[in-house]
Amino acid sequence: MLKNYLKIAWRNLKRNKGYALLNMAGLALGMACALLILLWVYDELSYDKFHKNYPQLYQVYENQTYDGKTFTFSAMPGPFAEHAKNDFPEIKHITRMDWGSHHLVSLGDKHVYEPGYFVDPDFLKMFSFELLQGDSAALLTDPTSLVITDEMARKFFGTENALGKTLKVDNDRLMTVKGIVRKPPENSSIKFSWLASYKIYEQRNEWLAFWGNNGIRTYLQLHEQADPALVNKKLYNYIYEKDSSTLAKPFLFSISDWRLRREFEEGKQTGGGRIEYVRFFSTIALLIVIIACINFMNLATARSEQRAREVGVRKVMGAGRGMLIRQFFGESIVMSFAAVLLAALIVYLVLPAFNTLVEKELTFDCTNPVIWAGLPGMALLCGILAGSYPSLYLSSFNPVTVFRGLRIGKNSIIVYVRKGLVVTQFVISIGFIICTIIIYGQIQHVKQRNLGYSKDNVLQAPLRGLMNERFSVIRQDLLATGVVENAAVSNGNAMTTNSSSGDFRWAGKDPTRQVLISMEWVSPEFLSTMKMELAHGRDFYPDAQRDSNRVLINEAFAKLIGRENPVGEILYRDNNEQFEIIGVVKDFIYNDMYKKPDPCVIFCEPRGVNNLMIRLKDNQDISKATAAIEAVLKKHNPGYPFEFEFLDEEFNQHFKTEMLIGKLSRLFALLTIIISCLGLFGLAAYTAERRTREIGIRKVLGATLSNTVLLLSKDFLLLVALASVIAFPITWWVMHRWLEKYAYRIDIEWWVFVVAGLLAVVIALVTVSFQALKAALMNPVKSLRVE
Amino acid sequence: MIKITDLEKIYRTEEVETVALNKLSLEVKEGEFVAVMGPSGCGKSTLLNILGLLDDPDGGSFLFNNIEVAHFNERKRAELRKHNIGFVFQSFNLIDELTVFENVELPLIYTGVKSAERKRRVEEVLDKMQIMHRRNHYPQQLSGGQQQRVAVARAVVNRPKLILADEPTGNLDSSNGNEVMQLLTDLNEQGTTIVMVTHSEHDARYSHRIIRMLDGQTVLENIMV
Repeated sequence: MLKNYLKIAWRNLKRNKGYALLNMAGLALGMACALLILLWVYDELSYDKFHKNYPQLYQVYENQTYDGKTFTFSAMPGPFAEHAKNDFPEIKHITRMDWGSHHLVSLGDKHVYEPGYFVDPDFLKMFSFELLQGDSAALLTDPTSLVITDEMARKFFGTENALGKTLKVDNDRLMTVKGIVRKPPENSSIKFSWLASYKIYEQRNEWLAFWGNNGIRTYLQLHEQADPALVNKKLYNYIYEKDSSTLAKPFLFSISDWRLRREFEEGKQTGGGRIEYVRFFSTIALLIVIIACINFMNLATARSEQRAREVGVRKVMGAGRGMLIRQFFGESIVMSFAAVLLAALIVYLVLPAFNTLVEKELTFDCTNPVIWAGLPGMALLCGILAGSYPSLYLSSFNPVTVFRGLRIGKNSIIVYVRKGLVVTQFVISIGFIICTIIIYGQIQHVKQRNLGYSKDNVLQAPLRGLMNERFSVIRQDLLATGVVENAAVSNGNAMTTNSSSGDFRWAGKDPTRQVLISMEWVSPEFLSTMKMELAHGRDFYPDAQRDSNRVLINEAFAKLIGRENPVGEILYRDNNEQFEIIGVVKDFIYNDMYKKPDPCVIFCEPRGVNNLMIRLKDNQDISKATAAIEAVLKKHNPGYPFEFEFLDEEFNQHFKTEMLIGKLSRLFALLTIIISCLGLFGLAAYTAERRTREIGIRKVLGATLSNTVLLLSKDFLLLVALASVIAFPITWWVMHRWLEKYAYRIDIEWWVFVVAGLLAVVIALVTVSFQALKAALMNPVKSLRVE
Repeated sequence: MIKITDLEKIYRTEEVETVALNKLSLEVKEGEFVAVMGPSGCGKSTLLNILGLLDDPDGGSFLFNNIEVAHFNERKRAELRKHNIGFVFQSFNLIDELTVFENVELPLIYTGVKSAERKRRVEEVLDKMQIMHRRNHYPQQLSGGQQQRVAVARAVVNRPKLILADEPTGNLDSSNGNEVMQLLTDLNEQGTTIVMVTHSEHDARYSHRIIRMLDGQTVLENIMV
């Protein structure tokens, strides 16, 4: 029986190649799309799961409440880890980890900036980074030893055994390779090339020894039987008990949420984060598969008149309805399996391009469940989904009616179902078009926002070696190159500010109120280099010493103080420092490009900062300008390779996710339109074929070409128009909710809907009119003979 | 074998009600060859569809081998049909995607006959119909006469007790038509009951009895001698 079904399915496909090709192409395209998304989704969901201790791993976070608002931070006090390990029997392992940075690693003439972390010895016991060589018990204890990845070992030592070899770090410290670990997998939240003892970091950052300073990340592994809820309860006042001046309330943040559910609001996880994109794209995958299956259903039911006789004969020969349902399901599943093979080929071919688009290294790997289970699963699912309605419909034919000559009337239920499905397809397609336009508009809107500084032509370089110390002379030489307009040093870079404090006071401040203020440390040239403007007061004097106890604040801070022009006011800190406000900087956008800026204070303190900011003169040849800057830096800071980034590149990084969504939305909008049009093309062909005789008669009676094209296209265009009417409010609601996430956002304009609707109508018209024209141009004598 | 009493069939649309069979009564004995004749629209095909268990009557009784089948559901009808009844249509109704062999094999598949046995029986019947040499051809590669022979082969392969033929020669020239009528006569002589609807007086003469219908009722019966 099965053989008979397969045989007839295959011969049907062979006999109706055009139909089969349309069906297969639409289904394969939809499946390929869904498979790519599933690969992406699987990768996202697989993050960090390779750790054997996954269920017991946590990062410690803390909440701090200022002015009634609770903020969540990952920075912890330095002493927390050591104390907690002694005080909490539930903790099996605990490690601190710095924020990760590139350090200069040298071997002979080879100098490479490699990313890595300073961590405690428990790090390798908790996390499953496979140790290839070395004694695990002795690693990360000694400040002169280094653990490197196999990839870094190959980079410096080639095929030689790196164990026991020496590398120079930051040009001042010789470190011996005591361990080699396998490079962390791509789906690891923690990635590095080297690991070194936390003791080094601790020595360099003495301020971390205090409970009141939050500056290091802390990770821990609980014992299997430990109850995390109980640990959280005990943790709540733990830091407060050590230092009553601190507001920090620590809690455990499970590894299962590190990647996908990082969003906190008022000290609680919102459940949001990248998971929203996982859900969003999973929904898109499902919608695309539905669109492709709709094609299949529509084309199958459209051909039902042709297959009716076969159904009748089979029933007369003794086939029950169940047998016929199984037969038609069999056919759709066969088609679906063939399509999935084609889809796999498409995925294999486009995966490199997709990887570039989503910035991942997804592989077409047969051990990946998306491949070995996803492919047959999808074939089965699509086969059942696509075959469901046609099977039930086709198997319902009564042989008597069929032999009498089945004609499906205009008002038959199946015609309405088919129209409904076409409308569904176009609702989704038009929805995608609207989303694409709005997402693009929102990204452009924010990118063109007045930031309060000029991000263009600014090059930033981390301060290495002697650069900070020799900044004055470096600046003079940079200006002397003729390519540099100005240069400054700063802790952040105007676009990003990393530090904040709640201990500022000023005259008239409610003493019970604690407000979080962002802090920035800069050299006096910072404002002019960044082209920031003053609303009141003056800039810092060129001699930083003169303004070491004076500060600038932003307008948001001035508003908080309650005076438009607070120049001359004094800011106090809890450690009895006081600073005079000498100017108010016009608000500038930092950290979150979509929000209003938070209050910020700028100190005139160029020592100990991290960044060199260089503004190039306009219209410079970038390669020549960077070569000139490199020469200056090499002269004053030999032994350090020149590394830099343009500020506008960092700016673009802020929109990485939104841009990815935008790009994918464009791609999927295009694909849904293509798939929907493939279906429409097939239906139009079928309609034209079915109405050949009618068209012949109409032509004989005097119908013109345009009359005929309109006759055949009208119904489809009405469906697309109806789809627009349905898609508009749904998409408006979805996009309205999406935009609500952003404080700085566009309004949804009416013309977006008009454009999307018109676009869909034009695309549908082009698709349908090809078939309509073909039918209209047919010789009526021939078309009448066909019948 | 067949006994119908006061059989009724009415077709209804939103506006029109058409009486296709009007309290029709009829008996067909085992081994008989009966021809049903009458003008278009008199209810011949409706009668054949009901006899073939393809359609439900709206009233009356239908005994098939002394079993009341008038209100059988589709599953029961299909079960009874596939074991007892063979069909021959005017337009052959062969499945275009299947070869001659596969078309004839179809009823055996649905009755669950094993593959080797199917092969044997299909070959036997194709041989008998003298179309063995066309076994791997598709219907569209055959002449009308050959197609109808395949259709007859398909109708008899399951060894049915009853063959219902709906204008079996309607699409054939006289020579092919005579061949098909001879085949049906041979089958009848071997014991198969045949009910044939026809417009052709010539074909009707092959039967034992002619039932003439008008407006859904039998109006005359001719016994052939």
